[in-house]
Amino acid sequence: MMASKLLASALRRSSPSTAPPPPLRRLLSTAAAVAEPYEEASSGVVMKGVRISGRPLYLDMQATSPVDPRVLDAMLPFYLHRYGNPHSRTHLYGWESDLAVESARARVAALVGASPKELVFTSGATESNNISVKGVMHFYRDKKRHVITTQTEHKCVLDSCRHLQQEGFDVTYLPVGPDGIIDLDRLRSAIRPDTGLVSVMAVNNEIGVIQPMEEIGGICKEFNVPFHTDAAQALGKIPIDVDKWNVSLMSLSGHKIYAPKGIGALYMRRRPRIRVEPQMNGGGQERGIRSGTVPTPLVVGMGAACELAMKEMEYDHRRISALQERLLNGIRGKIDGVVVNGSMERRYTGNLNLSFAYVEGESLLMGLKEVAVSSGSACTSASLEPSYVLRALGVEEDMAHTSIRYGIGRFTTEEEIDRAVELTVQQVEKLREMSPLYEMVKDGIDIKSIQWAQH
Amino acid sequence: MASAAAAAAPSKPEVLALLRSLLRTAREFRDYNVREYTKRRALDGFRHGQGLADPSAIAAAFADGKSQLEVARRQAVVYSLYAPEVKSVMELQR
Repeated sequence: MMASKLLASALRRSSPSTAPPPPLRRLLSTAAAVAEPYEEASSGVVMKGVRISGRPLYLDMQATSPVDPRVLDAMLPFYLHRYGNPHSRTHLYGWESDLAVESARARVAALVGASPKELVFTSGATESNNISVKGVMHFYRDKKRHVITTQTEHKCVLDSCRHLQQEGFDVTYLPVGPDGIIDLDRLRSAIRPDTGLVSVMAVNNEIGVIQPMEEIGGICKEFNVPFHTDAAQALGKIPIDVDKWNVSLMSLSGHKIYAPKGIGALYMRRRPRIRVEPQMNGGGQERGIRSGTVPTPLVVGMGAACELAMKEMEYDHRRISALQERLLNGIRGKIDGVVVNGSMERRYTGNLNLSFAYVEGESLLMGLKEVAVSSGSACTSASLEPSYVLRALGVEEDMAHTSIRYGIGRFTTEEEIDRAVELTVQQVEKLREMSPLYEMVKDGIDIKSIQWAQH
Repeated sequence: MASAAAAAAPSKPEVLALLRSLLRTAREFRDYNVREYTKRRALDGFRHGQGLADPSAIAAAFADGKSQLEVARRQAVVYSLYAPEVKSVMELQR
């Protein structure tokens, strides 16, 4: 009786007066949380005024990745009956939860060549980056006042550095070459006696370029400066060894390696020990570095994903490299004026960032509704500015605007790549046909030499 | 459990039956990407395992295959419970 009354009031509340009542299943899900009107009809999806016939094929693996079914399988029991708090010491629920957390910790540590005691779970790589950059500098604020980072770092690192600058620290932002790699000699000359941290990301999320980690680690060891790296895009994709790289701190993210969102980890070296000031105060969980109940299901998910990554890294890498070649050759075989942003040699194969000359970026994206890709990174897509990473590479404004980032992953199929090639080529050709600039180029006119009339 | 794995290696019909079960379970996934992946990974895994000679390695691989089958069976059910009404563009007729 009570349940039917609740159901009736929920029905009245959630469905707007004009639309038909949604099916029962949808009411009890998160449909109420969706702000935008969203129709799911058998004829397709309408969202934000765009109608597409089916769910787009997903090629945006750098933004996030789907949860692997094997990871979901490992997590589900912890949402069902094993829901204990891992910090409860007095009953089975707590003990089994703690066991699961420690077992997951060991798996994550094994993937990066660390000891489980050196790993702290956080809510994601952004939190780990914050702890690393601000935590380290605040701890050593009396002796160390200088931070070195690069211009292509993730926004959370750059923003943390800006925060430090406002507090009175000095920050050096190293430039990168047109291939996206930093100059090691510039790094060497930038180090000062009061440099407290060098932060360089291992694999860039926008262009997929891999920095020379061993060499940077060697330089940092020489000058005895702590080395932090954001390895969110590198984990499970390229081999990571904290001793070979000589990192003191490393940020890891779950949702880039087919684990759930909302979980990450921070590696903190014990020999020699690096200290940080915690950003989250409370009950002292996670060795006092990060207070707060450790989310067992998410941690178990990340552990399962890391174990999988260790087993599947070689297989996935071979497949993804072949798919990347297929994508690039497929596009280049049909259209010209395609530029790869970032070094081709030192790159993670699952990330392909292309610029298409004489084409406008927004219109290209609008036409590619059946392919889920991104231009620039999700973090900066709110503004109209071209991506700062591409600007740091020296890419011209017009080319930066037409950049598309294709993210290939474990679940991408050959057919999806072929369809993406077909749709991209179709859209680019359509736009170029309409473009007067392209006509001029075909007639042999050098666009850069044109004197545009002022009105 | 360990002694069962250390027992005689599986016979050829058993191995083929396992592969067939995995492929049949793969077909039941309502998600295009997961379906294709399960099929592909099972075939590639068994192809790779053909080269194994050591009987304990074969038994271990077979045991691993069986546990993967259990995972796949459970997840096929979960995915079908929450299958979206709109299919992937890859599944629609062109």
